[in-house]
Amino acid sequence: MSNRPIRLLAAPLLALVVLVAFAGPASASAESVGSCMAERFAEAVETYHGNVEEAAHDEAVQKKLEKCFEAPSPILPELNEIIWGGGAFLILFVLMVKKGFPAVQGAMDARADRIRADLDAADQAKQDALSVKAGYEARLADSKSEASRLIDEARGDAEKVRADLIARAEADAAGIRERAAVESDAAKAQAIADLRAEVAAIALGAAERVVQSSLDAEVQGRLIDAYIDEVAGANG
Amino acid sequence: MADTAVTGYAEALFAVASAEGDLSTVEDELFGFAQAFRSNDELRSTLSDGNVPVARRLQVVDDLLEGRVSATTSVLLAMVVGAGRSAELPAIVDAFIERSAASRDKAVATVRAAVALTADQRDRLAAAIKTATGKDVEIRVVEDPSVLGGVVTEIGDDIIDGSVRRRLNQLRESFR
Repeated sequence: MSNRPIRLLAAPLLALVVLVAFAGPASASAESVGSCMAERFAEAVETYHGNVEEAAHDEAVQKKLEKCFEAPSPILPELNEIIWGGGAFLILFVLMVKKGFPAVQGAMDARADRIRADLDAADQAKQDALSVKAGYEARLADSKSEASRLIDEARGDAEKVRADLIARAEADAAGIRERAAVESDAAKAQAIADLRAEVAAIALGAAERVVQSSLDAEVQGRLIDAYIDEVAGANG
Repeated sequence: MADTAVTGYAEALFAVASAEGDLSTVEDELFGFAQAFRSNDELRSTLSDGNVPVARRLQVVDDLLEGRVSATTSVLLAMVVGAGRSAELPAIVDAFIERSAASRDKAVATVRAAVALTADQRDRLAAAIKTATGKDVEIRVVEDPSVLGGVVTEIGDDIIDGSVRRRLNQLRESFR
């Protein structure tokens, strides 16, 4: 950070050095062409001791005069321009280094901070989004497992109900068979009992008729006598 | 209630019959009438029917017994029927006979048989019952064809069943 102003300072200095080194000789002065020619001519007149005509025809003098027509150096400015320009530049440079650069630097830093903060926020947002996504995925997975569990449970319940129904139906069928068997047995027993009772009634009716027909007065008397003997003997 | 009425009427019959001095005759006649009353549905329903006027019922009794029973028996029966106690008549007669026997220190043995017992058989049966139960009894014979043969004796709540009917019933039970 600290060497950055130095680098900034080095660049224009290098440019100045290059400019001076490659500059051609400064033949044109700050003077105008007229003043240049007047000055040269005056010098030649002085050389010819006031003989203006000679001086004007002298080829050397004419060459000097022609040189006044030559353009100043296109690269290297006049010395005073360099001084003024350099001074102004330095003042501006110092002002820029002291005031402008910190302001720019501050703006840049602020911008960098803002960008960094934005990046951080974006990062955070991304993290948040990822965590939300993870949450959704977890919930989705939970939902899937829950659904799977519910399906399994429903299947198990259905299986149980089916088994219960089958068992009940089998039990009912067994009960019906058993009842049918019991009823059949009962009906058979009842039929046998009825038959037996009927046979007994017939037999007893026949017996009663036989007994009645055989119970004449003599037999009745014997029966009564036997009864009396039986009663008398009961105590013994 | 009914028992009280039955006992009361029986006492009354006993008192009147004793006072008139022909207790034994009255016993026999009342017993005979009670047997007829038990076995004859028409007689029983006529005398027990509250819709038949009392005079009509008394007339029936008079017609039935006229000249066949003593005056005391006739009056006593008229009293019971006239009081509207015809339905309890057999119970009243039984209680009266028991009361009379008790006055002679005897119990009543009601004997049901298909045929009448001879006097000798009655005496021997009374002796046999005394031997068997220790009670002096008076024999009252009821002719009951449903007994078929043999005898059924009832002394109070005790029953000595030697009937052919019982044997047949036992046979019927054995068939079951």
